[in-house]
Amino acid sequence: MSLRRMSLPRTKSLLTSSVAVLAAAALTLTGCGSGSGDGGGKTKLSFFSWEDEATMKPLIEAFEKKNPSIDVEFSHAPPVAEYIAALQTRLVSGTGADVFVIAAENKTNLVQGGFVKDLTGKPFMANMSKFNTETWSVDGKAYGMSISSWSAGILYNKDLLTKAGVTEFPAKWDDFMALCQKLKSAGITPYMESVTGMPLTVAALVGHENARQGGDVDAQIFAGQKKFGDLWNGPLTTYNQLFTSGVMSKDVVGLKGEQVVDEFANGRVAMIAAGPWDVTTLREKAPKMNMVFAGVPTPDGKPFWGGAASPGWAINAKTEHEKEAEAFLTFLGSKEGVTLFNQKTAAMTTTSDVTPVIDKVLEPNLQALKDGNFYLPQVAWPRVQDALNTEAVAQLQLMVQGQAKPADVAAALDNRLAQG
Amino acid sequence: MRKQRSSPLLSLLMILAAAVVGVPFYYIVVNTFKTQAETSSSPLAPPTSLYLDNYIRVFENTPILQSFLNTLYVTVASIVIMLVIGSMAAYAMLLRHTLVNRVIAVLLVIAFLVPGQATLIPVYRILVELELVDTLEGLVFLYAAGSIFCYFLIQGYLRSLPISIFEAARIDGAGPWQIYWRIVLPLIRPILITVGVFQTMWIWNDFITPNVFISSPDKQTLVLQVYKAVGQYSVDWPAFMTLSVIVLIPVVIFFVAMQRHIVNGLLQGSVKG
Amino acid sequence: MTALGRRAPALTGALSWLTSPKTLEGLRLQAFLVPIGIVFAVLFAIPLAQSLYFSVTDFNGYSLDVNFVGLENYRKIFTDPSMLAGLGFTLLYAIGTTVIVTVLAIPLAVLLNKRFFGRNVVRAVFFFPAIPSIAILGLVWGFILSPLGSGAINWLLDAVGGFGPVPWLSDGTLAQLSVIVVAVWSSTGWHAILYLAYLQSIPGDYYEAARVDGASPRQSFFRITLPLLAPAITVSSLLLMTGGLKVYDLPYTLTKGGPGYATFTITQSIIQSGIAQAKFGQASALAVVFMLVVGAIVAVQLVLSRRLEDRVS
Repeated sequence: MSLRRMSLPRTKSLLTSSVAVLAAAALTLTGCGSGSGDGGGKTKLSFFSWEDEATMKPLIEAFEKKNPSIDVEFSHAPPVAEYIAALQTRLVSGTGADVFVIAAENKTNLVQGGFVKDLTGKPFMANMSKFNTETWSVDGKAYGMSISSWSAGILYNKDLLTKAGVTEFPAKWDDFMALCQKLKSAGITPYMESVTGMPLTVAALVGHENARQGGDVDAQIFAGQKKFGDLWNGPLTTYNQLFTSGVMSKDVVGLKGEQVVDEFANGRVAMIAAGPWDVTTLREKAPKMNMVFAGVPTPDGKPFWGGAASPGWAINAKTEHEKEAEAFLTFLGSKEGVTLFNQKTAAMTTTSDVTPVIDKVLEPNLQALKDGNFYLPQVAWPRVQDALNTEAVAQLQLMVQGQAKPADVAAALDNRLAQG
Repeated sequence: MRKQRSSPLLSLLMILAAAVVGVPFYYIVVNTFKTQAETSSSPLAPPTSLYLDNYIRVFENTPILQSFLNTLYVTVASIVIMLVIGSMAAYAMLLRHTLVNRVIAVLLVIAFLVPGQATLIPVYRILVELELVDTLEGLVFLYAAGSIFCYFLIQGYLRSLPISIFEAARIDGAGPWQIYWRIVLPLIRPILITVGVFQTMWIWNDFITPNVFISSPDKQTLVLQVYKAVGQYSVDWPAFMTLSVIVLIPVVIFFVAMQRHIVNGLLQGSVKG
Repeated sequence: MTALGRRAPALTGALSWLTSPKTLEGLRLQAFLVPIGIVFAVLFAIPLAQSLYFSVTDFNGYSLDVNFVGLENYRKIFTDPSMLAGLGFTLLYAIGTTVIVTVLAIPLAVLLNKRFFGRNVVRAVFFFPAIPSIAILGLVWGFILSPLGSGAINWLLDAVGGFGPVPWLSDGTLAQLSVIVVAVWSSTGWHAILYLAYLQSIPGDYYEAARVDGASPRQSFFRITLPLLAPAITVSSLLLMTGGLKVYDLPYTLTKGGPGYATFTITQSIIQSGIAQAKFGQASALAVVFMLVVGAIVAVQLVLSRRLEDRVS
């Protein structure tokens, strides 16, 4: 045994060098910390955003310039699950930010738990569109300020359609199916949409049926007066034609949204379901493409869109900086704030005193917003949104693969709702 | 045992296998040097020209230095702490087979099985009470949980060593602390390095913990910066990939440097028979 | 004899036991367990006790003003159909990855322990898959395994043998297989490095002696390396098994649990009901049951592998 001769020094040097690095790092850190100091007498307003810093930075800077006594502390978490989890954990422990985001996924819980301030009648809400405010209201009280909306439909490659001899985009579903067949026989993949989330085609078709039945079918379903089948069976049978006729590949259940966009950018598919956010990406991926938006064709020839009001900004009910938080929302909803937001995101803002500047291709989408021809199930459902959405997507995937019928999907949703 | 000879055939085989395993990394790195249009049309092709805009954009928009220092501080402190705690426990557990210790050993395995998401809210509330929420020290404290993982790997390693080593030292009159410091730590160096490297990767890349526990902008870790590219409706993939590559470079260098220390035949010549 | 007289030896005995060098050393050794005890108590035991409490309440993750609901949450989880759907794939995944990774990692470690040109780089490359964030892996593998003709593997299959596109992620069985393959890709290298560290504790003299006795490399692998790696196999397979049973993010980024419920896991169920659906009580109940089940599996696995270790040594 000659243990003592073993490589002791090396271990030691390893340890000591790690500790040295640590100490150095700590020193640098404290150095930085004291340097950045929190400027005397300023009120700190914490803002937990899910828009990224690049988007919000110009707005925050402009706001701070106007309100030199307020220092906005920006933090971010990526939407949706990570954001919801972080916000929830902080709120239940009393460390929630002063201003945060209210979305379909947490609306019910935020309001029931008393975490958000009632914003009804506040001066800054006057500019907001009625639809946006209603989306983030419960029992007639507004809890979120939402300045923009989005609508999604079918984006088509005009050159490919022309090549197949199509001059006008159909409004009727049957004509749309015929168009798909025509493209297919010309050797062009007609239509694609990822089914790893709620398909926008389904959202639009269900929304159209909802409008046809008076526009409040969801309320009746949740009140127990109707079943999901009353609203969903028809649209799902229509949607399922895409797969039973072989127009859309069953592979869409395993495709991510980005992959579908890539196929479109490279001219390998003529039409995709898309939202305004895809336009920015496509302009970079395929700068020369001649693309056009249209609503989803419906059985009676009145095109419909998937869409919703964007999530709103809410004020923490327990904030110690109510005045500052209101000042911040006032700025975000002001002409200057909305204009800046529109510049950064190209979002379709809906406040009364700003006309948004948008990509030309999005004009049909904006018109749809103005006409109110859009729908999104997750936002229309008053509660259990996430459970229903997860169930719907799983069942739709089974339907696409031919393992479930449209009526099975609706029945599964009824079951989910019954479980609460 | 004298040195084995280097085999060219083995070399070829292993390099080929490594190339196959490495394809996804090639994909990530190569696409950070391309425009979106190039990435989309030919994802696996090498870039046609030296395109650095992705990197320039990321460096302009992200406080990389501050985040880097934060991450370095948290990682180094956590690793040192968890290796010390884990190896101390493994050592004591090896030499003292009391009933109490056996119960503790079982409890530690159970701790291993707790899904982190199930205790998120309770753990967060404990940190609020300790006033460690939104501090880097709070992160270090949370990562100390990793010492159970370290303990587990180190005790397995200690069990594979001949116990006579420790007993001989004991007879020589060395105390527990001396044996730990002068015999155990040097002996378990290969596993310390392996576990240390692995835990470094975990902490360096961890997103879930800082996402919930850190909110101040000046305390952000590098990975939080990466995830800022994830937006409300879509992900800025070029920025995401570029930042990921930047985050990975230090750990790759660290790994290559450290794995030299997992040297061949550490025990040779020291333990006969 | 007086009572005192009878007690005195016992007392002095206890005293001398307490102050004997052996006990003192034992206590000093026991002190080495204090830090891990603190970690265990603060970061595991106390939070777990709270979760246990939440599991019998209607806590929704938002308001701490909760009501006692008894075993209602436990009843609910056993009647939830998506739970059962998750169970099958979770088990398949855990067992599949444990077996495949172990079978691949040990020979790989032996090879990585040999001397060859470029060894350091090769080791690093095999280790890399354990590093990057899961989100980026989801993106890259989604591209590689794309069911479309433009996906990397399908493109290769077409170029090499003219095979039609294979629906890697859009067919239930293939999606399960794909998820397991990616998991094997991401953890084999790291477990090989782990075995590599354990290989260092095998004295080289053993091999020399075996060689002198005329053993082939194959024989010395099965007679020396494998038996001496027994503790390593215990550790590695336990890590793989617990990690496998807890798996969430890999299947989620690749397939979101689909198609249908083909790659849905138990942890995904816990997270969805706890966070997204604000049923924290129910999620806690699920976590408690899950822990008990996993604990039982791991206990069996530990007993078996300890027996195996005893037999080989």
